Amino acid sequence: MVLDDLLARRLVILSGKGGVGKSVVGTALALAARARGKRILFIEVDAPLPASRYLGEGPVGGREKEVRPGLSMVNLVPTDVMDEYVRETVRVDMLARKVLASPIYRRFFAAAPGLPELMVLGKIMVLEEERVGWPRRPKYDLIVVDAPATGHGLAFLRVPLVASNAVPVGPVGANARRILSLLRDTKKTALAIVAVPEEMAVVEALELHAMAGKELGIEARAFVLNQCHERRFTGAQETEILRRASEDEDGRLAPGVTLEAALAAARRHIRRRKLTQFYRKRLERAVDAPVVSLPLLFTDRIDEPALESLAERLEAA
Amino acid sequence: MSAAALQSLSRALDERRVLVVCGAGGVGKTTTAAALGVQSALRGRRVLVCTIDPSRRLATSLGLDRLPDRPRELDLARVAGSGTRGTLWAMTLDTKRTFDALVEKHAATDAARRRILDNRFYRQVSSALAGSHEYMAMEKLLELSADERFDLVLLDTPPTRHALDFLEAPERLMGFLDTGILRWFLKPYFVAGRLTLKVATRTGAIALKIADSVLGLQFLQDLSEFFLAFEGMYAGFKERAGRVRALLRSDRAGFVLVASPAPHTLDEALYFHQRLDQSGMPFVAFVINRVHPDPAQGFPATRAAADVDDELAEALVEVFQDQRRLARADRRSVERLEGVTGESALLVPEFDADVHDLRELKDVGDVMLGEAGSGRRGRGRARGTRRLAAAEGRAR
Repeated sequence: MVLDDLLARRLVILSGKGGVGKSVVGTALALAARARGKRILFIEVDAPLPASRYLGEGPVGGREKEVRPGLSMVNLVPTDVMDEYVRETVRVDMLARKVLASPIYRRFFAAAPGLPELMVLGKIMVLEEERVGWPRRPKYDLIVVDAPATGHGLAFLRVPLVASNAVPVGPVGANARRILSLLRDTKKTALAIVAVPEEMAVVEALELHAMAGKELGIEARAFVLNQCHERRFTGAQETEILRRASEDEDGRLAPGVTLEAALAAARRHIRRRKLTQFYRKRLERAVDAPVVSLPLLFTDRIDEPALESLAERLEAA
Repeated sequence: MSAAALQSLSRALDERRVLVVCGAGGVGKTTTAAALGVQSALRGRRVLVCTIDPSRRLATSLGLDRLPDRPRELDLARVAGSGTRGTLWAMTLDTKRTFDALVEKHAATDAARRRILDNRFYRQVSSALAGSHEYMAMEKLLELSADERFDLVLLDTPPTRHALDFLEAPERLMGFLDTGILRWFLKPYFVAGRLTLKVATRTGAIALKIADSVLGLQFLQDLSEFFLAFEGMYAGFKERAGRVRALLRSDRAGFVLVASPAPHTLDEALYFHQRLDQSGMPFVAFVINRVHPDPAQGFPATRAAADVDDELAEALVEVFQDQRRLARADRRSVERLEGVTGESALLVPEFDADVHDLRELKDVGDVMLGEAGSGRRGRGRARGTRRLAAAEGRAR
């Protein structure tokens, strides 16, 4: 149901505090959409390690690459997007080259506040508007954006609003307004906020939710609680574990696994599971949007089967 | 735990004037900065922990609702008893206010001051946009490093996507001020209200046309008005950017690089370390937070079979193995960092609860500095760790 709601849009923007696993959640979401036969584009912004590596692919760059049939990925680097924009706008090759080679242009771009974000959002808008074939149809059914975690997750989304206020006329302002109306169009765009079951991540997710609604007029349609510790023991087993752990029992369970160590590990798990439950409830109480839990993966590295298992969880939610 | 890293961090807490805590988002930078602040204060220094965070992280970990934008003293006695000479202060940097204060202080005339503060562009960019946080952090750092109330300023860096952005902010600003870009903007044809396409040279005309089609004249005009309003302050900006640069390269400063065992945060720390090295900035230590402890460590092997029913035994072994897999992956990550840099890292185990108050912050610092016994190893788990685990009860 949550997936239905998200996949009915053209654009899903994932936001949340750094380190909560947005790119994993985004890739899983893209895989879930792909499993339903959608053509997906997964966009990352200046990712040092693009998500394509999870699928065993080399890092994708600024050009869309179809890494699996129906699933394309792109890693937008702001300076490249700006260069491309200059090239397209200036048209005359020699002039464009001159501009791009100029140190003034480079430094201006590095120092002009908000311009990189605006360029990237503009590019996302262009990708959304891309049509192919005859009769014309969108090149991608769904675009999933892993919004840069500036810690303050809103900084990125706020840029178009700020820019349209600061520069009401001219191409910058006009683009900013177009981007803003796309972001605010609830039929086309959904914001999904990712968190992990920890105090600060949850606090920040809630702040993000409140500010996105109040300041930007963008409402979060779903929350994803990632890296959840899920129940591994029955209630009776948990009781037994806690009792036995306090009794200093000894013995061997399996090669290299003593009962004592396993009981300590189990207690640790139980604490984490309860914390997960606590934060999930807290999130659910605070927001109207649905909260989807994804399990913590105990794999050495995140690979395609692991992501598929998360995609299935999203499908079932 | 590494003696060298421990000693380096410990000495820095005793001797440095400024410690900058850097790292990728979500690795526990703020908590680390606050925990180190508590430790240094307990050693008798007067410490300010400053965070540049639009959200309320530091306040949360200090058990406060919010932090003021000027230093506020915390009640250290709660964790230190009455004998300590040290003091602990905390504040959050309010980017807009810092910017405003800067303008108030340095604008050449009242008219110039008003022109800036009323400028539409300024009002938008001074608070809202990425980049201004870093600039203001630098300005604030300079101011605080001269504040005689404090022996040590611990700066928690802004939550940038690339930790390096912070380091590069003054260089970027200086690069910007150095190039012809300002002169270009400040040319008469861009003066507010007199915008004209009549320019002296052909190249100038072409440049203007391109700028118009790419960004729009209005944008450029607003920007040039903005820059014009700052005229007279540039020399000061540049001078202070240069001083921050010098400060951060001196032995009064130091960088604590924070990461988690997640590969991308370690990569960031690695890259940062390399950059510090290249630019002659003093590295202090790596702190790796949230390291999964090895569930086997500290428990001696035994031969006797355990008396547990099969179902439970199976579930127990599975959970144990899962945790062990995480611990091993973490260890490999840390070994890679240590291998590449030749530095050893201070490891802080993942706690079973969040940090909510000064007492727990002290515990975190104790574990970090190995003062509660060996934090990451096994059974004699630190008192601090246990107390943190107990805090979970309160969370519920």
